Amino acid sequence: MVEAATNSLNKNTQQQLNNIKLPGDLAMWFFILAELTVFAIFFIGFAVAEQLNSAMFILGKAKLHPIAGLINTAALITSSLFVALALRAFHLQKQRHVMWLLITAELIAVIYLVVKIWEYQFLITQGINIETNTFFTLYFLITGFHFMHVLLGLVILMFMTIKAYRNQYSNKDPSGFESGACYWHMVDMLWIILFPLIYVI
Amino acid sequence: MNNEYVSLSHKKKRIFKKKTLLISWLLLMVFTLISVVLGKIALDKQLMIATVLFTVFLKGHQIIDIFMELKYAPHKWRILLLGYVVILPAIIATIYMF
Repeated sequence: MVEAATNSLNKNTQQQLNNIKLPGDLAMWFFILAELTVFAIFFIGFAVAEQLNSAMFILGKAKLHPIAGLINTAALITSSLFVALALRAFHLQKQRHVMWLLITAELIAVIYLVVKIWEYQFLITQGINIETNTFFTLYFLITGFHFMHVLLGLVILMFMTIKAYRNQYSNKDPSGFESGACYWHMVDMLWIILFPLIYVI
Repeated sequence: MNNEYVSLSHKKKRIFKKKTLLISWLLLMVFTLISVVLGKIALDKQLMIATVLFTVFLKGHQIIDIFMELKYAPHKWRILLLGYVVILPAIIATIYMF
């Protein structure tokens, strides 16, 4: 009798778990796919241009600051961790935790912005700009486009923080929060491809 | 078990344990350092490119499955996103090979 009840319960739980759902809004995922496609074209374009102008790209990459790139990678990965921890706290209905974890993620993301601006300034003071050559045109275009995505992601995170501060979130409908979190992880994932392509290889 | 459950209004949802998220972050940091070191040491260029791009897949896998929580999402969406971090590095590697 007890065994039958347990089996029935397990089956019920399993069915509930099988009712799996995409985290976030479907519209956000289509937006993410569109963003990923645009960046894929940029990355492929960069690789083709490098193959066609190999010497210019080697010289260009030598002028970049790999430590700055590494700091930015660590900043975005760590910021993503805090957003993932915030989502976990959100599911556990710990609204105060959510707010503080998001604020930490935002502060770490600011490190990325500061380092990137410093990097641009460092290049500009050396007389390098978007018109210097093909390498720097692509460098400023791709990293600048990514920078704007970080800014947009940061605005979304701030909006989420304010909502958490006002206790406006309910874990009955997590899709808004999940959408914002997934957008931020996408920004992180794009940098993870961009960093080795421009700084390492 | 690397996850636990929370009850939503109508169903249960798997969420990752804090430890799983931290391990994922650690792996992302380690793979990043490995790729930077590989870029610095005098390794065969094509082998270096292939290995660095493989770490891109490993990192993308962590972000998609754990941070984005797609491990337990509808299969097709997970495959679509994982496909991105397989196909794009493969295309880039192919370009650099020629």
